[in-house]
Amino acid sequence: MAQIEQKGLGRRILGGLALLFVLLGLYVALVQAPPDAYQGEVQRIMYLHIPSILVAYLSFFIVFVGSCLFLWKREKRDDTLAYAAAETGVLFTGLTIVEGSIWGRPTWGVWWTWDARLTLTAILFLIFVSYLMLRSLIEDEERGALCGAVLGIIGFLDIPLIHMSVYWWRTLHQPPSILRPDKAPWENIHPSMLLALAINLVAFALLYFYLLSLRFRLGEMREELKRIKLYGGP
Amino acid sequence: MGPWGFVFLAYGIVWAVVLVYLLFLKHRLSQVATELERQRTSEDAASRPRG
Repeated sequence: MAQIEQKGLGRRILGGLALLFVLLGLYVALVQAPPDAYQGEVQRIMYLHIPSILVAYLSFFIVFVGSCLFLWKREKRDDTLAYAAAETGVLFTGLTIVEGSIWGRPTWGVWWTWDARLTLTAILFLIFVSYLMLRSLIEDEERGALCGAVLGIIGFLDIPLIHMSVYWWRTLHQPPSILRPDKAPWENIHPSMLLALAINLVAFALLYFYLLSLRFRLGEMREELKRIKLYGGP
Repeated sequence: MGPWGFVFLAYGIVWAVVLVYLLFLKHRLSQVATELERQRTSEDAASRPRG
């Protein structure tokens, strides 16, 4: 019982920290950071766009690890984690696509284009939406977890393709402009912009782990409920 | 729409969606917690000796 209360307290602290960094992130992104020399004010969408896709990648990496562990050890806890990470990953991938679309309209002149990176990101989103649909449609828990684990591993393989797409194909989406192999990050971007991006990365990471911990707790509670209904006790 | 219009549209959508998801998650959590409590109470009542 004390352990559950401690976890609850930890979750509340994580939520409070996330809120603090989100507010700080909004301030530095919308007020403190200067406008871009070429794009002007719309470049401020970058402080949402990069953190949200990075936490989406992190989320699908957790799905990948959780799925591999589940296939190896068959422990329900790993599957619960993978399922929770898939849901939060879909949320942040969907948001990335929407932000990118809004950013694309004033800079590229279109809301959407069938560019390699955009298309592969949309495929990633659809793979994990299918994952969630599959999990909710298959009634046999064990079979659903197995199919989900296989799909989770296959879906993760799309991420290296998304990353490399800007090098392999001629795309409208620019290659990485901050994390480049030839230059240090602070040489590619103004320090105040880099600071704003770093604060927003921390904010999104904290928010992500807070949401993931809530979703994981929900999964654990559902498992406990099923156990009580089946066997009549914890 | 001006440049700030696009910025506020993006920020507005993102934070509104995150807030709705958070509320939805909390709602689901409280629903399962209530159900869990109800099941535990009925289990306790069933296992208590009668007399």
